[in-house]
Amino acid sequence: MPIWRRGRRRGIIGVCWQSDQGGGSLFSGHTEPTLFGSSTGIRQTMAETPSAQLTNRDSPSLLDADFLARLEQLEIVSRKIHASRQKGERRSHRKGESVEFADYRNYVVGDDLRHIDWNVYARLDRLFLKLFMEEEDLNVSLLLDVSKSMDSGEPSKSLYARRVAAAMAYIGLCNYDRVTLCAYNDGITAYRRGLRSRRMMAQVVKFLEDVPIEGKSHFAAAAKQFALRQGQKGVVLVLSDFLDKGGFEEGFRYLLGREMDIYVIQVLSPQETEPDLTGDLRLVDVEDEDVAEITVSKLLLDKYKANLQAYCQSIRQYCTQRGIAYYLAITKHPFETLVLNYLRQRGLVR
Amino acid sequence: MKFLSLPTGLLVAAVAIPALLLLYFLKLRRRERTVSSTLLWKRAVQDLQVNAPFQKLRKNLLLFLQLLILAAVLFALANPVANFIKRPKRNIVILIDRSASMKTREADGRIRLAHAKDGAMDLVDSLQGDSRAMVLSFADRAEVVSSFTEDHRRLKRQIEQIKPTDGPSKLGEALQLAVAYSANFAAGAVDKAVRGSMETADIDLFSDGRIKDADQQFVTRGRMTYYRVGAATDNAGIVAFDVRRDIERPGKVSVFVQVENFGPKQITSDVSLSLGRKMETVQQVTLGPAAATTTRPANSVAGAGRRTTRATQTLPSSRNVIFKMGHSAGGIITVKLHRADALATDNVVTAPIDPPRAIRVLAVSDRSAIRDFLQQAFQVAFRIKDFTLMTGSQYEEAGDDVLAVEGRSTFDLVVFDKHDTDRLWPGNYVFFGGIPKIPGISRGDEVEDQVFVTWREDHPLLRYVRLDNIFALKWSRLSLPSHAVKLIEGEDSTILAFITDPGHRYVISAFDLMDSNFIKNPASVIFLQNAMMYLAGGGLTGATRLITPGDTLSIPIPPGARSVRVTRPGGAVDQIDVADRNTATYARTRDCGIYKAVFDDAGKTTESYAANILDANESLIAPNEHFTIGAEAVQTVSSEIKANEPLWPYAAAAALVVLLLEWWIYNKRVMI
Repeated sequence: MPIWRRGRRRGIIGVCWQSDQGGGSLFSGHTEPTLFGSSTGIRQTMAETPSAQLTNRDSPSLLDADFLARLEQLEIVSRKIHASRQKGERRSHRKGESVEFADYRNYVVGDDLRHIDWNVYARLDRLFLKLFMEEEDLNVSLLLDVSKSMDSGEPSKSLYARRVAAAMAYIGLCNYDRVTLCAYNDGITAYRRGLRSRRMMAQVVKFLEDVPIEGKSHFAAAAKQFALRQGQKGVVLVLSDFLDKGGFEEGFRYLLGREMDIYVIQVLSPQETEPDLTGDLRLVDVEDEDVAEITVSKLLLDKYKANLQAYCQSIRQYCTQRGIAYYLAITKHPFETLVLNYLRQRGLVR
Repeated sequence: MKFLSLPTGLLVAAVAIPALLLLYFLKLRRRERTVSSTLLWKRAVQDLQVNAPFQKLRKNLLLFLQLLILAAVLFALANPVANFIKRPKRNIVILIDRSASMKTREADGRIRLAHAKDGAMDLVDSLQGDSRAMVLSFADRAEVVSSFTEDHRRLKRQIEQIKPTDGPSKLGEALQLAVAYSANFAAGAVDKAVRGSMETADIDLFSDGRIKDADQQFVTRGRMTYYRVGAATDNAGIVAFDVRRDIERPGKVSVFVQVENFGPKQITSDVSLSLGRKMETVQQVTLGPAAATTTRPANSVAGAGRRTTRATQTLPSSRNVIFKMGHSAGGIITVKLHRADALATDNVVTAPIDPPRAIRVLAVSDRSAIRDFLQQAFQVAFRIKDFTLMTGSQYEEAGDDVLAVEGRSTFDLVVFDKHDTDRLWPGNYVFFGGIPKIPGISRGDEVEDQVFVTWREDHPLLRYVRLDNIFALKWSRLSLPSHAVKLIEGEDSTILAFITDPGHRYVISAFDLMDSNFIKNPASVIFLQNAMMYLAGGGLTGATRLITPGDTLSIPIPPGARSVRVTRPGGAVDQIDVADRNTATYARTRDCGIYKAVFDDAGKTTESYAANILDANESLIAPNEHFTIGAEAVQTVSSEIKANEPLWPYAAAAALVVLLLEWWIYNKRVMI
């Protein structure tokens, strides 16, 4: 059943298709039972109804139609004003060609005669140029941890992270921001840049669907590569569990060095925050097959929880001290709440 | 401490300890679990190890506990015992008191003898493997329970079978037996070492220390140890008892009872008199506490103890109770002290009484003065209706039918004046200046110009007889058997003796009545009265039928009887073949109560005998704190202290406790 909506900023009217299958998946209507649905189906559907969503019958939903419709009303906010290369919808430091008056300046030879304010010339007999505010686009980069450790937990951390990434990408695309997707483990494994307009959503989904979950995580190496590749400043959203034996500080230093507006979402599963282990166990690290032999006891569990809390707190403290926004997400909490409420409160979206 | 099974313990230890260590150090099989990262787990484990005190110890705490459990189990397996009394290898004689006072019921409900047996068995357990021991039990007589043996199991088995008696405790015979056995054993031992060790055989006495003849004994060899048994003190009992018929009015029966309290508290109790099964009368007595219970010397005579008590207490601890009743038939008289105390045996006394009959007295004398004197005394003073006078020749010529009836003397008392005879049917005889012609008694040279040096005032025959003014010009020196009781003694000769033989009792005076002022003195009449009452029991009650447990019964046999069946108080029956004998002897009189002998003659003659303790020494049940034998104090050990206490139950309990602790620690570690 089509619901007509009006875009907040540009008066775009989108149609959302309410899912017929309750609880639906990301994109309804396509037949292939994959996590994110068929790319073909998405493209076709989106060509006709940009915000129409299809639901996968079998797999868990990533973004449902209603949720996507609400996302359309959001935009990603950068706390800094970054210079960009293309025109967009965001106010820039530069003077440009928007409809919004900014200032006057004296005419110098070579200026475009079209911008001379002839009314002023008539009054004052001097040539002044009318300056307008320039509007540019925003670089939104999504750094997604796809190391093997993300492929654990119930609900899955990787699914959760990809959902958040999809939601943020969609918000960015809706607002004509330049979206960059970057998946990493111990280096960048997949990279897609320059995505603009919601037509590209299908590519975003395909990217997220196709990216393999594998390898050890090494945030510092990945951040270094990303910083080298991403020349432009902008908003960077890092989605990771940060269970990285190499540490997290170095990676953040690379990003901070590029003066990026950084947002961090640490994704942990309930099994990591409240382990349900008993007995004598041989714990094997899923990434590097490192082994820890433990005899589970209340004392040990208490110590583990205290350590986890201290670790998360250390990341939070590091981030806060450097102007990085940090949020800890537990996958048992609905990610919609994260995107619609929490990130709004924290100012990443509005 | 000593290990009885050390090799077993060591053997098991050699196998079990390496096995445990091996098991412990084998890798624990852990379940494998994949986690997103071991980063935080490793840190947690590290933190725990760093922060925990005694990290090394904690790591192996369970192993330590398991080793501890194993050690406790091995300790128990080695069968450790705590030897509170260190015993070198040696040989011992165990004496176990089984007299009446050992029947005292202690606080735990078991009798004192059971405790003594436990103590003795503990002692046997504590002996080293090749130590020898023999066991004797004693009351008034000693009995060899087990001769010298190394077989400790046999010793314990034999100790277990010792049964209590109601007899008084006399140590003398037991000591003699102990010495004799050890001497025989030593002499028979070929090995010189064994003989050497026998010379130091020690005596271990398990008793409450109330032994009558302890002051008359001495230990000839070895060292004696006294194991004090028992703790109960609350007891009251009947310590004296007599039944009399009035001579003048034989239908009247007087019963005298002395009741004494030996406990520390004042008591009030009923004393009842029953005839047969019918209760005749009841009197209430209140007795004060025996103040000197514990300090009273054990070997002192009961009377002295009572005097002490009476002097210090306002309420006497001892009272006489007298019952009088009319009863012209025979029967069994029972006097009972109705009180539940630690020793029940001394609360009941019994006595058989015969129907009254006239006393028959025969006097044999050739001298008219004596004849007159005796006739006056018996016929006029004592009002004996059936009194016969004979001369010596008449007595010798008299037919058996005159002198005897049913195998016994026709007369209750026969008095001879200067007459020796061998015609002595079972009965009671008094000889003045003559002797019975029986083995062991003979007359020697004459003694002149001597005085009566000593006499026994406490003997029933000399009661109230004042001999201060009596003298004799001369008398014959008598040769008497060893069991003769010397009643009057001169400087080096016996003047008056009392001899008891089976069926016969003789009173023999060495002086002639005509050589003395005896018959001119009232003492002579009192003496004859005593003789008549004591020997003939007044002729009225069965004085001879009251015995002390352990005494040998001498039962006169009626003509025609070939066997006698004796029924004991417990109901057991013994049959004795008595053909061609005058008296039957019966010695199984261990318990108090009525012994009934039934003969198989035509008249089915029945005789009853009553055994009663009547012994203040036995009724005083408080254990003797300091036992002395002769004048020598004996080392005292309280048998409450286990001589050989096994420690394995403690070790097993410790193992259990540690096991529980280990379980708790393990669960505390594993539990979430």
